[in-house]
Amino acid sequence: MLASEADSVSFRRDVMPILFRAGCNAGTCHGSARGMDGFMLSLFGYDAKGDYFRIVNEMVGRRVNVAVPEQSLLLRKAIGAVPHTGGELFKPDSEYYQTLHRWIAAGAPDDADDVPDTVGIELSTERFVFERGGERSAVKVTAVYDDRSRRDVTTLARFHSNNPSVADIDEHGRVTAKSAGDTHVFARFSRFTAGVETIVLPPAEGFRWPDPAKNNYIDELVFDRLRKLRIAPSELCDDETFLRRVTLDLVAHPPTVEEYRAFMASTDPKKRADKIDQLLKDDAFADYWTTLWSEQLRIIGGNYAPYGTHVKAASAFHEWIRRQIRSGRPLNEMVDDMVVSSGSNLQNGPANLYTMLVHARRLNPKTFAADFSQVFLGIQIQCAECHNHPFDRWTMDDYYGFVSFFSGMKRKPGVETREQRIYYDTKASPALHLVDKRPMPAKVLGAVEPAKHNGDPRRALAAWLTSPDNEHFSRNLANRIWAQLFGRGVIHPVDDIRVSNPPSNAPLMNALARRLVESGFDLRSLVRDICNSRVYQLSSQPNASNKLDTRQFSRSYLRRLRADVLMDSFVAVTGMQRGFKDWPKNTKAIDFYPRTGGDTARAGCGDVFMETFGRSPRKSVSSTDTKLEPTLSQTLHLMVGNTLEPRLSANGRLNRIIKESATPEAALEELFILSLTRKPTAAETVGLRQLIGDAVNDEHVYRDIFWSLLNSTEFSFNH
Amino acid sequence: MRCLLAIVFLPFAVAAATPNYDQHIKPLLRQHCLKCHGGDEQKSGLNMQNYAAAMKGGSGGRIVVPGRSSQSLLFEIITDPDDDSRMPPNKPMIPQKDIALIQQWIDGGLLENAGDKSMLAKRDTRFHPSANAGVKPANPAMPGKLPPIRTPKVMRPLPVMSMDTSPWAALLAVAGQEHIRLLNTDTENVVGHLPFPEGVPNVIRFSRDGSVLMVAGGRPVESGKVVLFDVKTGKRLAEVGDELDAIIAADLSADHKLVALGGSGKVVKVYSTTDGRQLYKIEKHTDWITSIAFSPDGATLATADRTGGLHLWGAKQGGIRLSLLEHKAAIRALDWRSDGKLLASVGEDGRIIWWDAKDGWPTINKSNAHSPQRKPGIYGKLRNGVLATRFDQRGRLTTVGRDRVVRMWDEKGRQLTASRNEALPLTVAIVHTGAKAVIGDQAGTVRFWRLTK
Repeated sequence: MLASEADSVSFRRDVMPILFRAGCNAGTCHGSARGMDGFMLSLFGYDAKGDYFRIVNEMVGRRVNVAVPEQSLLLRKAIGAVPHTGGELFKPDSEYYQTLHRWIAAGAPDDADDVPDTVGIELSTERFVFERGGERSAVKVTAVYDDRSRRDVTTLARFHSNNPSVADIDEHGRVTAKSAGDTHVFARFSRFTAGVETIVLPPAEGFRWPDPAKNNYIDELVFDRLRKLRIAPSELCDDETFLRRVTLDLVAHPPTVEEYRAFMASTDPKKRADKIDQLLKDDAFADYWTTLWSEQLRIIGGNYAPYGTHVKAASAFHEWIRRQIRSGRPLNEMVDDMVVSSGSNLQNGPANLYTMLVHARRLNPKTFAADFSQVFLGIQIQCAECHNHPFDRWTMDDYYGFVSFFSGMKRKPGVETREQRIYYDTKASPALHLVDKRPMPAKVLGAVEPAKHNGDPRRALAAWLTSPDNEHFSRNLANRIWAQLFGRGVIHPVDDIRVSNPPSNAPLMNALARRLVESGFDLRSLVRDICNSRVYQLSSQPNASNKLDTRQFSRSYLRRLRADVLMDSFVAVTGMQRGFKDWPKNTKAIDFYPRTGGDTARAGCGDVFMETFGRSPRKSVSSTDTKLEPTLSQTLHLMVGNTLEPRLSANGRLNRIIKESATPEAALEELFILSLTRKPTAAETVGLRQLIGDAVNDEHVYRDIFWSLLNSTEFSFNH
Repeated sequence: MRCLLAIVFLPFAVAAATPNYDQHIKPLLRQHCLKCHGGDEQKSGLNMQNYAAAMKGGSGGRIVVPGRSSQSLLFEIITDPDDDSRMPPNKPMIPQKDIALIQQWIDGGLLENAGDKSMLAKRDTRFHPSANAGVKPANPAMPGKLPPIRTPKVMRPLPVMSMDTSPWAALLAVAGQEHIRLLNTDTENVVGHLPFPEGVPNVIRFSRDGSVLMVAGGRPVESGKVVLFDVKTGKRLAEVGDELDAIIAADLSADHKLVALGGSGKVVKVYSTTDGRQLYKIEKHTDWITSIAFSPDGATLATADRTGGLHLWGAKQGGIRLSLLEHKAAIRALDWRSDGKLLASVGEDGRIIWWDAKDGWPTINKSNAHSPQRKPGIYGKLRNGVLATRFDQRGRLTTVGRDRVVRMWDEKGRQLTASRNEALPLTVAIVHTGAKAVIGDQAGTVRFWRLTK
């Protein structure tokens, strides 16, 4: 029995779920913004009142015929009795048809106001573990209503799998294992999505758990997961690889030859941990993280900046962030400062959150709220501007309530032309709900009651946002930190966190977030934990069982260096500085951000190298603005462009290496350590020695070798 | 002195209060617009520094249409809700009182100065019953004894989707499932049934002389047809059209020679009733055709659609005469006043418009005519659509709307009387004597409403 009671069929409780299940209100059908073939429904049913109107009252007698229900177009279309773009959706003898028919026969009534509202869905299981492909199981979906009633809605839910090649789910909720791997299958009902972790195991035969040593909780959680999935992690990486990896990751340039020799010579069993501590104290670590924040917050600067993005403002903001990171300021306090700040954008660095995050002449609260949420929570709420989020819990009420935190954010020109004063206009009216134009007072995501405040609600927003209890916030920060060190978030992509994009290892995600909170939101503590884990120090060499793994961190994934880190690496290795237009000499690439002598409306990254290698142009807050894909133009740029060639023998460094090395073999070793942080292999030495032949002092040959080393993928990747 | 007299006699309220350019508008333009659209700079080729240049408009053409703020770019652009499109740029909206002044200036006929004459033409749209196109027939048709028919079993009454009264006899025809019910409007009793096995009658209209009943409808997304019945005998005189969807709009010309029909196909088709041949098609509409009406003299055809498009055509050939742009949402009904001078249109945008058929001028444009009462806690736009309209033989207009009220208006657009209906009223008609209105509603009820003098 689909209907709640035998006699009365409710529009919201019984009819709308059928429209959802049959796909009538999907985005490709009548749920599209302009409807389909002259008939529109709200997408996934966010506007029940409007849908009732359109079905029953817009063209009375056409879509429902209360005199002869089976003559209703709604039914005739659904069973394919008349031409229908969507074809036949169900049969006349189905429950769906019977329910709709009974509703129309009852006069197609609208609901009285007190229809129980769905407050959540529950699934019959939390996890499927299949031993082999072809195995089957099924999930049942139960809806829970605000009157505490429950109902089996398996026949009304919609299902999907995040990876149908691992496990597929059909429209009845039946799951079929396909091939080894892990994914989630989902059920959606009303505005809720819930997932079931689904594991399909590889054959147990031939698998032996290597039981690697565990350095800390990260290893325990990752290895626990790998063991369940029958994936053996790679071996520990060697010292050379570790040194290069951790140096590039923490201070954004490769280790020097001296650092290499000192590290390799040390026999201290704690030398890796010491190295990590040493790098964490380096100013370059803070500078690198300053740039990562600055990139997310879209800092740009110009000499002409009608909406507050002046060079001086950019610099005030960037330097303020640098001071916070260098001094080890807790990240939540840093964010709190930004969120509540007001005043001059030239004097008060953090106030530039309200000039930089959205580059526009008007501070549009909707755009700002969406970007704010994406940056600080990793959640994309903008779907809910026009309809409840289809794959997450966020409703339009959440969205408009959140937007209202910024509806009073204003800027006005300051005393000088480049200055903008940021203030909160306490008289501004809150955002209006799209469907019924209700004013929506400021309300934090997921809350029922509006935030309490005295005019400027940002204090309440900041308190909620940066609270240790706000797991959205701590999880987002922890996940971004993890992603920076692994090239992939535990939730990936990092700025699209939603119910239907769950962590690849939920206990790990929780532990990282908890650790960040317990450390007092200390960036260095979490980075230290991660770098000291065996997981971080695994080799990138795959084994038979983990070669297909891309999300469980069973080996080190190859990562191309970011554009700025690559540039600084060239500079570090060749000893030849690189200038940036509109910047002081000797500016490091990681300290560089888009600046222009002109109008910021036209600022890009302003640098051919940065563009070619995908430095984020800061055109949006999306994490995908930083491009790490190798391209042909990158290869060509290094082979024939002006970055590498003029640097190879500049400053006499190459010449000095040749001169100061006792033998050609020693010079080769020096070049290898300088470029790749490792000694050449025996085969490499033999081959290259032959290439040098008698020209042992000929710079040209060494130059070619140096060129080849810097052009190698081994150089441009962290591995 | 002569100028002053002319103003006094204008049918519009162009009194001393009507704003003019020199005194009222220029100071506003100076404050908000002239920096970019004035003597020094003419962005988009627009100069509003003097009256003549302002009338000329910019590179995109005229910016004001006398009497039609709704059709004037100037008014549209200063009231645009989109912050990025509205003028003046990067500023809050001009104060409401200034906007109102500009609107009054446009609607008042774009006066240049206090002594100026309004650009609006003087028009006389008064109703003279003697000008009626139709003449009362000697023996107005009433049905004789009609054969009994079997009507399909229904679970509940069909909503009264269509209904009409004979212009000359005490006769009412009401839509039912696969049939039409005929009632005597004096006794209010059923006098017979006409079968309509084609489906649901979406349109019912008596001919101007009351001798023929046109019924149009069908089965949604299956079939549609127009059937002409002889009122006296109930015989089928003709069947027109073979549509793929139920017909939503149709009308019969006064001489009974033409039937025009339309619906979800977005095309208006005009057929000859003598040989059933299709004479021409109108393909200008971009959405479903919602209403069609021949003028009383049969010379003009008015057609309307679901996006608010309304056009007048030469009825013989289908050549376009006028496009009447004003409605912002689906037009629900059209009706001609019996003298043919005025056409009324009503729609989901809540407007009732009395159009001067001569030149397509909206002589009265009544918005929010059927606005429901706002309940506490309800925000935003209320559904205030006007669903049906009919003129009576005395030139009065009756309308029903989503506020569930029936209203009657005089020729100046003043409400004469109103009555609340319990269910949503869908259709309305006035009996031939003008003594009663009949309202058909969503519950399937037909209600007779006695009109007092």
